[in-house]
Amino acid sequence: MRSAATFRGGWLAAGIGLLLLFPLSSPDEFFLDVFTTGFLLAAFAASWDVIGGVSGQITLGHALPFGAAAYSCALLTSLAGWPLPLAVAAAVLLAAAVGMGIGALSAPLAGPFVALLTLALGEIAHEAATGHTFFSGPGGYAWGGEGGIPVALPWQDAPPFSSYYAALTFLCIASYGMLRFSRSGAGLILRAVAGSPITAQASGVPISRFKRLAFAVGSAFAGAAGAGFALHVGRATATDLSLELSFQAATFAAVGGRGTIVGPVVAALVLHILFQGLSLPPSARVLLYALTLLVTLRFFPGGVVGTARDLASRLGRKEGARPPRRRGRNRAGEGTR
Amino acid sequence: MASPLPQVLLDGFFAGGTYALMAAGMALILGVVKVINLSHGAFFTLGAYVAYALAERGIGSPLAAAPLAAVIAFAFGVFLGKSFVNPARAHPFALPVGTLACALLFEQAAQMVWGPHPLSIEAGEPWIGPGGLIIRQWGVIAFLSSAALLGGLKWVLSSRPGLPLRLIAEDEEIAGSLGMDVEAIRYLTFGGACAMAAAAGALLSPSGAVTPTMGRAPLLLSLVVVIVAGMDSVAAIFLLSIGLGIFGNACAWLLSPQWSYVALLAVVCLLLSARPAGIVVLAGRRD
Repeated sequence: MRSAATFRGGWLAAGIGLLLLFPLSSPDEFFLDVFTTGFLLAAFAASWDVIGGVSGQITLGHALPFGAAAYSCALLTSLAGWPLPLAVAAAVLLAAAVGMGIGALSAPLAGPFVALLTLALGEIAHEAATGHTFFSGPGGYAWGGEGGIPVALPWQDAPPFSSYYAALTFLCIASYGMLRFSRSGAGLILRAVAGSPITAQASGVPISRFKRLAFAVGSAFAGAAGAGFALHVGRATATDLSLELSFQAATFAAVGGRGTIVGPVVAALVLHILFQGLSLPPSARVLLYALTLLVTLRFFPGGVVGTARDLASRLGRKEGARPPRRRGRNRAGEGTR
Repeated sequence: MASPLPQVLLDGFFAGGTYALMAAGMALILGVVKVINLSHGAFFTLGAYVAYALAERGIGSPLAAAPLAAVIAFAFGVFLGKSFVNPARAHPFALPVGTLACALLFEQAAQMVWGPHPLSIEAGEPWIGPGGLIIRQWGVIAFLSSAALLGGLKWVLSSRPGLPLRLIAEDEEIAGSLGMDVEAIRYLTFGGACAMAAAAGALLSPSGAVTPTMGRAPLLLSLVVVIVAGMDSVAAIFLLSIGLGIFGNACAWLLSPQWSYVALLAVVCLLLSARPAGIVVLAGRRD
């Protein structure tokens, strides 16, 4: 098993190496932008996985912490005139607090009702962001609404490869952090809560507290990704809070394999770069995401990682070896309810 | 006209009565298939677009649009029920996310075919009632046909042909052991409930703008109805839908149309956080 792990680590290192080399091949600026957005979305997808995969709380309002951080970044820098690092830190803290709140509200609910509540909360935030316009700023023109709120950036026209490398660094650090969290003691308890809340409770786990913890951690990372996205685009817009964005995160996680953190990251990178790189119109993209998700759910319920694991174990059985018993980790944190 | 309030209430009354058709479909799915169908709103939108397409071709009658929309939605619903909902029923993750995917799929497809802009349907000359009240013909027809269909549903459910549905809702294992084809009844019910949502969409289409995302608010309305009124009483669903229709219209009139959607969302959040124990029956029963 250790050799397999090193092997996988090798692939990961090779992938990061390729991504580091990519801007040096002097590609089109458009592709650099696609990749940069892809890194931020991948971190966002992984943060969904902390809540929806590892802890089994199906959230359909994950755009809420993402957009809340983006908006607070924009408002704090442009309106309140805070320095950028302070605004980003405040935005991440706010996202964590938002997550804590969502977790507290959804902790007593079971199964599909968590999805319903988070969906409703996300939609309320989206409607508020779309509908609320106000006049402000030195220019005196309208802010908010569909157009969003600009972020006051201390730099002008950052070179595209610097945002590329910044986003890639962020993705690596964030995914490492989330991976460590998901494999820590708390992560293990969360997997137990996902597998069977009653068993976990009977073993003395305060499940409400752990659900809140999962939401807070996942939302903090989502907020970091949202703040990064606002810095990259230079604006916080209502689409940062949209149902489509939450749905995308769930799609990436389902396609990559829920509960694996790395799977959603890879799925987000591949799918986003593929669909965005083809410069499809946004509605065609969402349509393709929905189709991909339905096909995955129907035919590969474990996602890419889960299917690969199944295939590997089946191949091992064919060669006459005893089928490796799946170790304690419940593949996608489900089925044992 | 003195005050627009009676007009607002009247329109809400007619609309709410028609929403009841959709909410009853939601309740059927919840009771028999034991699934929360987040794509229910998409079928509502589908019905509205069918009505629009027919009106474009000169057949501007709800009585033509609703049956056609219902048949189309039944076909899609049976397909969805048979190929996705039934196999994925036991999956706590696949169902909400998958049905949401279906809804987004349809929204985007509609946006590509008909464009994102609101479309409107010519509803014909309204009648002028007492006190300058405008009584829209489609509204009356929609309300009456919805009430008739719900009455029919209530009768079917309480008589011999509805017995399998009630039995499966009560205990699917006994239903199976009595020789009923539980899976088939499930996807047929799913299709039928989708047809009800589409018929409601076709009946209600002239009262507002037809847009790709128009089904989201009725979806929430149905969810609220199902959470509060439960799945047993058709009459409770009907009355509550009327109440919510009036509430939504009043919100739209007092604040702005967008706020009636936010108000419904807020009601869903409040309900879920106020009585988490009252609604987890569904989740617990699945074991």
